[in-house]
Amino acid sequence: MASRPTVSVHSSSGEASTSLPLPAVLTAPIRLDVVQQVHKSIAKNKRQAYAVSEKAGHQTSAESWGTGRAVARIPRVGGGGTHRSGQAAFGNMCRGGRMFAPTKTWRKWHVKVNQNQRRFAVVSALAASALPSLVLARGHRIEKIEEVPLVVDGSAESFTKTKQAVALLKSLNAYADVVKVSNSRKLRAGKGKLRNRRHRQRRGPLVVYNEDNGIVKAFRNLPGVELVNVRRLNLLQLAPGGHLGRFVIWTEGAFGLLDEVFGTFDKASAFKKDYFLPTAKIANPDVTRLINSDEIQSVVRPAGQKVQKRPWTQKKNPLVNKAVLFRLNPYAKTLRRRELLKQERIKAKNAPKPKQPAAASKAFLEGLFAP
Amino acid sequence: MSSDLQWLLLRKNNSFLVKRVVEGPVFSKESGNLLNINSFKYSGLANSKVVNVEDQAGSIKIHTRKVKASPHAVASGVATTAIRPRSGSRRALGIAAAPAKRGYRPDLRHATLARVSALVAAQREPKPTPAKKIRGKKAAHFLG
Repeated sequence: MASRPTVSVHSSSGEASTSLPLPAVLTAPIRLDVVQQVHKSIAKNKRQAYAVSEKAGHQTSAESWGTGRAVARIPRVGGGGTHRSGQAAFGNMCRGGRMFAPTKTWRKWHVKVNQNQRRFAVVSALAASALPSLVLARGHRIEKIEEVPLVVDGSAESFTKTKQAVALLKSLNAYADVVKVSNSRKLRAGKGKLRNRRHRQRRGPLVVYNEDNGIVKAFRNLPGVELVNVRRLNLLQLAPGGHLGRFVIWTEGAFGLLDEVFGTFDKASAFKKDYFLPTAKIANPDVTRLINSDEIQSVVRPAGQKVQKRPWTQKKNPLVNKAVLFRLNPYAKTLRRRELLKQERIKAKNAPKPKQPAAASKAFLEGLFAP
Repeated sequence: MSSDLQWLLLRKNNSFLVKRVVEGPVFSKESGNLLNINSFKYSGLANSKVVNVEDQAGSIKIHTRKVKASPHAVASGVATTAIRPRSGSRRALGIAAAPAKRGYRPDLRHATLARVSALVAAQREPKPTPAKKIRGKKAAHFLG
């Protein structure tokens, strides 16, 4: 293996100063399906129970009228003197009836996900956040930043002012992502407006820190920016909506701690008991490299002569064109020849025989010569 | 990370996809996609080598990936050549074909040239439409 790749640490003025080795987590296998599945389940764990009233649609003493009164046998409200009397009740098809399968508060709201799967998903999402193409594909504006993963030096953790935070993001050329969030703020469609979810907006960068010396308060008022401690990384923040590649800004301390938090491929994590990083199923997923490898090339047959297909010529019909037919089916030539010979034989056999001139009659011969 | 795997991760879902027509072509509007088609060959995201042609205030810029850039480098991994404004189509196409000539994504030569020449053509000022000539009876009336 070549020397371990490094990631440079950017000072608060934006220049790269020192560098850190790339943590092993960021080279872990990326499994889109695992992340989506785990996200789908984990996202359910914040739900609150809701249900319709237990009594809804049943607060009447309706009874069926039975047969014989030329109306449907659905229960009907008794009595007289009001419009309600005689109306159908209870059924899910009735006005004022209960709904079909009334929702209950004891629905299964939460989904258990195995711990190893949860960890796999987090590790996958982290590895995806270290690939520029996937971060771009998620829609983050990172075209101008220096590199991904983006690491800032430790002094950022003791920022206390949002002004400092903005200056840092601007010097890293990462502020475009905050602007994108700010511009995306829209009024939510539907009832969510009344339920403390008035606006919707994109997600901006996720700032991961090691120790909060004011960094949370400095950054938290920026639209779309979220902060998290490196020990408590969360899939809902690393892959919002189950989409890989959140733009993550690491502080130096947090980045240095990653190998301890998640362990490496051959060293257990210090924070998660007996946890090793998952290994990839294949070491090299580069298809071109595999095909061109010595191992493959030594066993494949050498390429034959190039068959030049002439693309713009007219297609010949082998049923009509003899030459094309014989190229496709050489035996057709023999068949055809035999057929011709056979036809000739039949023709010869059935041909009318030439008339044999009848021998001259005796009377004629006798009369022929003069006496 | 191999580009094949990256392509598998982002082919179905990314923020640049454009699916307007049902059962129609799927387009992609990321920069570096020369035909704006959602395919591995033309993807500006998945490929490690990308040719990106863009128009910056009249000057056409051709961005390529630096040969020795680390795969993690974003802005610093991009090399830019510029076609100066009003340099003419022959010179523009020569500059556009340069990456392909040195073996950098020769498969994109055609698409690069097409994009550059489209931008060159767009920069040209359209000819003024000639004034309408008056013909027939009107001409006799107005011109005597």
